[in-house]
Amino acid sequence: MTWRAGLLLGAGALTLPAWPAPFLGVAVLTSAVLLLVLLDRAMAVPPDALTVTRSGERTVRLGGTATVTLHLANPTDRTLRAQVRDAWVPSAGAHPDVPPDRLLTVPPGGTATLPVRLTPTRRGDRPAVELTVRSLGPMRLGARQRAGAPATPRWTLRVLPRFDSRRHLPEKLARLRVIDGVQVTRGRGHGTEFDTLREYAVGDDVRSIDWRGSARRADVLVRTWRPERDRRLVCVLDTGRTSAVRLGDEPRLDTAIDAALLLTALAARAGDRVDLLAADTEIRARVTGSGRPALLARLVDAVAPLQPALAETDFELIAAEVLRRERQRSLVVLFTALEAGAIGDGLLPVLPRLATRHRVVLAAAGDPVLNRLATATPAGPDDPYAAASAWRALAERDRVRAALSRYGVTVVDVPGHRLAPAVADTYLRLKSLGRL
Amino acid sequence: MTATVVPETATSATSAPRRRRYRLLVPLGLAVLLLVTTFVLRAVDRPDADEPGFLSPVATDDDGASRLAEALRTQGVPLRRETAFEAALRTARAEPSTLFVPAPALVHPDLLDDLTTLPPGSRLVLVEPSRRVLAELEAPVEPAGGRWAARAVPPDAGGTPCRLPEAVRAGPAAIDLQRYAGPAEVDSCYGGALLRVPGRVEVVLAGASDPFRNDRIGEWGNEALATGLLGGERPLVWLDLPEPAPAPTGPSWSPEPVTGEPAPAGSGRADRPNPPEAADPPRENPLWGAFPQWFWALLVQLALAGLLVVLWRARRLGPPVSEPLPVTVRSAETVRGRARLYRRAGARDTVAGTLRAAALDRLTTRLNLPPDTPDDEVAARVAERAGTDPDRVADLLYGPAPEKDRELLELARELDALTRTLAPHPSEGDLR
Repeated sequence: MTWRAGLLLGAGALTLPAWPAPFLGVAVLTSAVLLLVLLDRAMAVPPDALTVTRSGERTVRLGGTATVTLHLANPTDRTLRAQVRDAWVPSAGAHPDVPPDRLLTVPPGGTATLPVRLTPTRRGDRPAVELTVRSLGPMRLGARQRAGAPATPRWTLRVLPRFDSRRHLPEKLARLRVIDGVQVTRGRGHGTEFDTLREYAVGDDVRSIDWRGSARRADVLVRTWRPERDRRLVCVLDTGRTSAVRLGDEPRLDTAIDAALLLTALAARAGDRVDLLAADTEIRARVTGSGRPALLARLVDAVAPLQPALAETDFELIAAEVLRRERQRSLVVLFTALEAGAIGDGLLPVLPRLATRHRVVLAAAGDPVLNRLATATPAGPDDPYAAASAWRALAERDRVRAALSRYGVTVVDVPGHRLAPAVADTYLRLKSLGRL
Repeated sequence: MTATVVPETATSATSAPRRRRYRLLVPLGLAVLLLVTTFVLRAVDRPDADEPGFLSPVATDDDGASRLAEALRTQGVPLRRETAFEAALRTARAEPSTLFVPAPALVHPDLLDDLTTLPPGSRLVLVEPSRRVLAELEAPVEPAGGRWAARAVPPDAGGTPCRLPEAVRAGPAAIDLQRYAGPAEVDSCYGGALLRVPGRVEVVLAGASDPFRNDRIGEWGNEALATGLLGGERPLVWLDLPEPAPAPTGPSWSPEPVTGEPAPAGSGRADRPNPPEAADPPRENPLWGAFPQWFWALLVQLALAGLLVVLWRARRLGPPVSEPLPVTVRSAETVRGRARLYRRAGARDTVAGTLRAAALDRLTTRLNLPPDTPDDEVAARVAERAGTDPDRVADLLYGPAPEKDRELLELARELDALTRTLAPHPSEGDLR
């Protein structure tokens, strides 16, 4: 029933002074109103007769707005008057164009389109949860509403990471082209892999003249080199407890994802093959770098639903997985945190196995708060304690870094917002040195 | 992931109004608590006239009156204790006597009239009679305000000279609790707390039970006043009702109904249009007859309409949607936690050692000193660069651990100032 039933009964109450037996009047009026409500309810379109479908976007970048449209078809021969609530999870930021309290009228055989604008506030999968239809009768006195009728059409909006470090990509690509030798600044790329023979031009380094080739031809030929191509790059994302720590306003995992995406975009352009692995106590995501053109899109899709888990990362598992899958020598970029407990107990025991087969880079997003705590001028009685605690944490970090360096691991330890360009620079440096 | 930040800011935003609410609620709550405690304590402290044993000549506890009865007996006053109203009345009617009613509220209202039919020259002493009792007695007095607690006052308090010899003899007494006022022929003492209404039957109103009670009879002139009021040559009939007196059962018990006819129980039920008797307990609520019947029907129907609205509002449009929230670990949480542990443990020596080691590390790196440089040389070099006293620098870098938090803060500040002048940080963000 609706508020109209109450209003009708209240209005009927005003006629009571005219009734000879007022209490009989109450009974008569109340039953009349209830009868009307039941009649009206029977005349309403049954909700399970409706057919509901959805269409619209499946993915949206975090910060963007997606539109998913709900199509409500009325196959009955009665006019549908309904209130429709399409409930999404709160973090989906759903704003229906038709609010739930507005009455929707669909003629017999007609279809109503109800667009919902979604501005998600969090990365990951944002599902539509529940569709509720309240079908009102022609007098709008009674209503039919039942859970699960009509069935909620499933829809999940995948919210992709923001990939803010895209802005660094043009600059890094320009540097890659310099290394690659495509952009003529130094005449040839300074890679280590033999590329082609070409005719000597003035300005070429005489040391690169290929005398054997020149002897077979009339011209003087020079060898050109290029950086190694088809190298293998493995990004390992640690989704354990250390990845849940907030750096600024996002978890460390999001910073790592951002950096991994920039690295992947760069490496895919450089012609390297990129694999991705995300794990804590179990493997959370796994992308193998075949099908190069859509690699970045697939990668973004794979990392979007990753969430930090409050568990200690099993580096044993990660090392075993990397060793099993990467037969060739690869560059393993491990996105984790420089924390004495996690690294010392987990990574260091398995690092020798990993470092002998692969080149390992450890990319750790540092906490700017730590440095601020350590170097701020003490003001209150708590500050010396905080500073000492921070210095102790920094000293532990140094010890871990020194231990890692002994195994030939390159450590990238920068504040969170500088992690993505720093990792890309490390990659480019290793590539230009031919150390991949 | 700005979504998880929103709750944080939301909680910090809501905590401020909550604190403001507490600031308002706590003093108000304290005030309410104080008032309630006061009222409860007063109610507990105040003797209850309905209790059995209240001002009873045989009760020896605090609100009994055994001491008063004893004093009266010593004075030779003939005292008869009656526990039934009819019996007391019968005894009092035998000769002019003093009828003492310590709890007039226990006497059934219909019976109060009969108190005026005592023989001429009798005296009726009432303790704290209510306005209703006074009205039933048709006494020309009414309550005129009262106090929180009984106060001892002289008989001439309130500016009117006391014409009651018993009161004048007694002097100050703790009777000033409930005051009464009446016309000029009424004798008023203690500022209105003790009244004598002259007439065929002399009615004396006492404003407080304190002068009669065991616990206070010994104070001031209480005993003199009580024995004066109840004594004399008239015999004393003490009406000691253990519970409210029952309603009169019929005319047979009463020797002579005086004013009007006693209202028989159960009348007024047979014929409704009659105005209901004020003194009839099983009567119908007069509110029923005050409004026409359709008014009540209207109320019922409006309530039903309200119920319909409630039912409408109670049916929600789909259930609330829940969602698991991601784990949130604040930055540098462990570091801050360790700092709090240091603070709680008072680990000033450890903290000072760590801070000194950190500062030394930065200073020696900056001054290109090998790590095995002797302490005094380091201090000398640092002092030379900073332009300060080497002893002070040595004390700062290698001195004893501070004893108090204030000294530790001082040390941390000086170390910070020293490193800031000699080895400033390349950037706030990166240490190396």
